[in-house]
Amino acid sequence: MADTDTLVRTEESVSPALPWNVVVHDDPVNLMLYVTYVLMKIFGYEEKKAKILMMQVHNLGRSVVWTGEREKAELYVQQLQIHQLKTSLEKAG
Amino acid sequence: MKVLPTLEGGLRIDTNDASDWDLLRCVIHDANGRDVDLATRLGDLISPEAGGEDWEEYVVPDLREEFQDELSQIHALIESAAFKAGGGAGSLWIHPEDAFTWYGSFNQARLAIEDSYHFTGMVEQDLMKLTPEQQAAYIRSDFYGHIQILLLKHALH
Repeated sequence: MADTDTLVRTEESVSPALPWNVVVHDDPVNLMLYVTYVLMKIFGYEEKKAKILMMQVHNLGRSVVWTGEREKAELYVQQLQIHQLKTSLEKAG
Repeated sequence: MKVLPTLEGGLRIDTNDASDWDLLRCVIHDANGRDVDLATRLGDLISPEAGGEDWEEYVVPDLREEFQDELSQIHALIESAAFKAGGGAGSLWIHPEDAFTWYGSFNQARLAIEDSYHFTGMVEQDLMKLTPEQQAAYIRSDFYGHIQILLLKHALH
């Protein structure tokens, strides 16, 4: 019987971390104009985009206003909460 | 009471008498009028999966401090203006650099009132059935909202 050598090769695969959503929820107090203002201020969105997102919050009850890496998403949620918007964080997808 | 925009991009509130100052002081009282404060209520929106416990430990205290700072600043500005007016007819100036602090304070008050009384969605018939205390809260919330609209139009850019 011939000797056999077993060659073991390990490969590392790194999958990118799942992105996170920053979600703004509708509430009966915050004024529509203010929500638009805050989205423009924090994300630098143009007024048109901020208004579309604000209308999603108003009509659908929630809107994903930003998606990306967790650390940045947490920072955005904190900033939105400082502005007293009902905001949460969730895994995308 | 009159609320007017100023040329510098702020607002001026003209009071008639002591009751107007009392109404302005109610902002602080209303904002602090809940057992569970706003910072905690916002923190509760972060699920355990999203790190709710850490949020409660690290972020919520900062939010709480931020909101209380807002109210403290507004309280000082109201008392200073009321003192200058001798508690009667006088003016309270909202300068552009303080506009967000004022807006946030009125917002805290309205959020707390809504959380307590759930006025949103009420029709006129419902409003007629409110107790005097509830009616007063409704009127204050409406008043705060009107000033917020003026702040958005004239002071927040």
